[in-house]
Amino acid sequence: MKKNYLGWAISLAAASLLLSLARTPATAQDQIKVTGKIVPPGAAAPKALPPAGPKGPVPHMADGKPDLSGIWNGQRALPNQEPPVMLPWAEKLTAERTNNYSADDPEARCLPGGVPRAAPYHYQLVQTPKLLLMLFEGNIHSYRQMFLDRSEHLKITEPLWYGESIGSWDGDTLVVDTVGFNDKFWFDMAGHPHTTQLHVMERYHRRDFGNLDIGITIVDPGTYSKPWVIQRVSTLETGIEMSEYVCNENNSDVLHLVGK
Amino acid sequence: MRWSILLALTWAAGTLLAQSSAQYLPLTPDGKGDLSGGWVVRDSTNLPDDLPYRPEALKLWQERKADLAKDDPATYCLPNGVVRVTSLPYKIVQTPKLIVILSEGNTHSFRRIFLDGRAHNLDLEPNSWTGDSIGKWEGTTLVVDTIGFNDRTWLDDTGKPHSDQLHVIERYRRPDAGRLEVQYTIEDPKDLTRPYTFTRAFVPANREIQERFCTEQNHLVGK
Repeated sequence: MKKNYLGWAISLAAASLLLSLARTPATAQDQIKVTGKIVPPGAAAPKALPPAGPKGPVPHMADGKPDLSGIWNGQRALPNQEPPVMLPWAEKLTAERTNNYSADDPEARCLPGGVPRAAPYHYQLVQTPKLLLMLFEGNIHSYRQMFLDRSEHLKITEPLWYGESIGSWDGDTLVVDTVGFNDKFWFDMAGHPHTTQLHVMERYHRRDFGNLDIGITIVDPGTYSKPWVIQRVSTLETGIEMSEYVCNENNSDVLHLVGK
Repeated sequence: MRWSILLALTWAAGTLLAQSSAQYLPLTPDGKGDLSGGWVVRDSTNLPDDLPYRPEALKLWQERKADLAKDDPATYCLPNGVVRVTSLPYKIVQTPKLIVILSEGNTHSFRRIFLDGRAHNLDLEPNSWTGDSIGKWEGTTLVVDTIGFNDRTWLDDTGKPHSDQLHVIERYRRPDAGRLEVQYTIEDPKDLTRPYTFTRAFVPANREIQERFCTEQNHLVGK
């Protein structure tokens, strides 16, 4: 099944752009300023907390660790977070990508979103004592493996979209450390970039039955002058199953990815 | 003294025997077959050629062979479905209520087999690439029942077709530590005159699954 959130998002962004242009006749210079004001949906600052997930006790594994397994709704950022502090090249590139309607976003071409990009789709966590699997409904119907049975990263010979992830428990919080990334994916639709120096730390804490708090620290001295800290939450999906989203089946997004 | 030595020897021999038989029948702590690990197909990835096709389906298969598989969904980075396999590794992650099969290729994706006792539910996806799979244990053999397919996947690289009436029953068992055997029974009243059964052996992959995205190397999609 193919959903077309991105198509809608781009149409909406284009519609709001047309509206602002209609109000203010603009020169080319002004146009950039106008488009610069449009916050792409992927980067939209949330105004309020997402509604909480179902209450109840945290399930545990036989080994006593919290069990993060379940189908979770796409990760949502909490309101009022610090924006990233970018090096000049990254600031320039992000502005270019945003102003070009995210036309070159690899994710829209059915390539992986990488880490820690949030999608509006469900994802499923499957936990064993040695492994945490993250199964994505979309944008591409793929997976991430987080190894809980070793404390050292493997040597990476070829940079990866999802990186090399190892996890360990800090009390009730699973701390996932990921390195070995390529520099191809974007962090969001705004187009925040990174280099292969990227190092992502994620802290997964199942607060109660239906709420998963995710603390993310992005360290990439090649792109950001200080670590970028993001707080997100996912709520447990109890109503419906994950669907089989096959991006390559009918990627109507590509037709919309025209840029300027 | 002699008796105690004999007893100790018997105990040691018993332990060794128990360990070696455990190697022959890998089990999970709850006594099910342990299917987990990385696996590759041992022999040909293709099915035998004696499927009991109805004339229309046979004609379609011959056309696909004649045009050198130019419409192969795999070429367009579309999923292989359940019956068709690649020679790349698969990884089985087993939990009591859910088994996940990760594939390295053709699409770097996953398949879920639900063991929580649910019935088939095709409300969300009446016709999907990988269908709706539910499984149950018969002793140490996992029996997986899958329906809800589309008619777009090929059963193997040669283009063997199937219809959306496809019903696949897989029986997963570990005959010994070095092997995973899967018996497939394919029913498809639209395309086949009778159910067809074949068996495929998998051996340990001996490596972790690697990241491989078809779309990245493919000039036909995503551009």
